[in-house]
Amino acid sequence: MKAAKIIFVIIFAYFLIACALLLRPFGSPTETTMDEYFIKNAQIETASNNVVASIVFDYRGLDTLGEATVLFAAVSGVILLFRGGVPK
Amino acid sequence: MLENKKALLFALLILQNANFLVAICLVLFGLYALLFKKNLIKMAIGIAIIASGINLFLISAGYRKGGVAPIFTEATIKASEAETRMVLPTPQALTLTNIVISLAVTALMLSLAIRIYQQTGTLDATKLGRLDEL
Repeated sequence: MKAAKIIFVIIFAYFLIACALLLRPFGSPTETTMDEYFIKNAQIETASNNVVASIVFDYRGLDTLGEATVLFAAVSGVILLFRGGVPK
Repeated sequence: MLENKKALLFALLILQNANFLVAICLVLFGLYALLFKKNLIKMAIGIAIIASGINLFLISAGYRKGGVAPIFTEATIKASEAETRMVLPTPQALTLTNIVISLAVTALMLSLAIRIYQQTGTLDATKLGRLDEL
């Protein structure tokens, strides 16, 4: 079992490192059409000087709603686990 | 001489992609903690380390050489070259989401570890396999 785990980690590490070296040079992203649109139009369309904020709350608002749902579910789980105080 | 040049090019490749390699190291450390540690709290720490590695990878994937933050009031460049000089904002927004979600997941995991310790008196994952023996 332990040998299988070690072999799995080694194979996984090999593929990760190969991907990192073959992906693209660091500092020059290849596919930037969407981000250039965001930078160009964020001030006009969302009236925000901070492009990241305009993406989080406007362009990807539904994504942020899902994030809030996950947060709510996790906090509900924590409250359920500790309902009625922590018994000794 | 040729061997020297090859080694130099390889070292340059490693140095250029240092951010990606550090992210991979973080993911592998977290995976090591998940697979080879038996303490539940150490496994939770492993998942948190994997989340930091993913965050670093996302930020690095959106970086532009010599870029500035995508905030127009703080930018030190001309407005006309904003599209090509600002770093990509979408990976940063996704990283923001990932930070919040990893925080929530870590809180839930640690709460479960506390409850498991109260119920069973142990945090050893190998002893928790048989639920009917508790």
